[in-house]
Amino acid sequence: MTRNPSDAEDLVQDALVRAYRFYDRFEPGTNFRAWLFKILTNTYINTYRRKQGRPQESSLEDTEDFFLYNQLSEDGAERVTDVEDTVIDHLGADAIQRAIDQLPPQFRTTVQLSDVEGLSYAEVAEATGVAKGTVMSRLFRGRRLLQRALWDQAQSAGFTSGSKVHTPSVDGDEHASGSNGVVARARGGTR
Amino acid sequence: MINCRDCASALNPYLDRELSDDDVVQVRAHLEACGGCLHLFQFEESLRRLVRVRCQELSAPQSLRERITLRLAMERTRLQRLRPEL
Repeated sequence: MTRNPSDAEDLVQDALVRAYRFYDRFEPGTNFRAWLFKILTNTYINTYRRKQGRPQESSLEDTEDFFLYNQLSEDGAERVTDVEDTVIDHLGADAIQRAIDQLPPQFRTTVQLSDVEGLSYAEVAEATGVAKGTVMSRLFRGRRLLQRALWDQAQSAGFTSGSKVHTPSVDGDEHASGSNGVVARARGGTR
Repeated sequence: MINCRDCASALNPYLDRELSDDDVVQVRAHLEACGGCLHLFQFEESLRRLVRVRCQELSAPQSLRERITLRLAMERTRLQRLRPEL
């Protein structure tokens, strides 16, 4: 949400202190993670967003549906059925998180809660204070933008030549995980 | 049987397990008959998995964990002062 590690840490601390303070308002039997995320979202709106003024708008352009599938399948008749062994597979956790962080705020939070934290539509709706239909449309558009952002990350990491990564392989799996380690290390340290 | 366009528009709720049982049956029937859509679904599913697995590797820094523990302890002390019955 904050796009800034030190603000993010302050936000998490403030939200957890509030959750602790108002724990008696939690309804047992409902989803605790969704409740925590709702407090986090409210804390962000009440303090950080006011402090920062208007959030910085992302320059990501909207893009076609299934951008990566089309992009990765393009240079051959063969359709790609798994992201493994494509340029995207070589992105480390930092690069993928950077792609998510790049999304405009309303899409970023929704995609993060659904795709990373694994919340259901109803839980994301509860956590972000919008209707379930809004969650669905934000996910739809947010994921489309994310595919574009992942592609941009792969390009800036230097994986530009075609879809498939040509592996001088001894062992496919071994190579894939080894490369991820290198990418993660090389691009690490910024978060 | 649903067509490819309807199938593609059901992709998100299908992979998110938010589709009704009836609609799941419809989507599966289409995927069994249509290799093009099946490939797309498999690809999108593998992408979701990649994003989730990689991002979950990122956990909170130790220093943050320590500060949270400290602040919660301070908050507990404060609440006890305000509401001694707790």
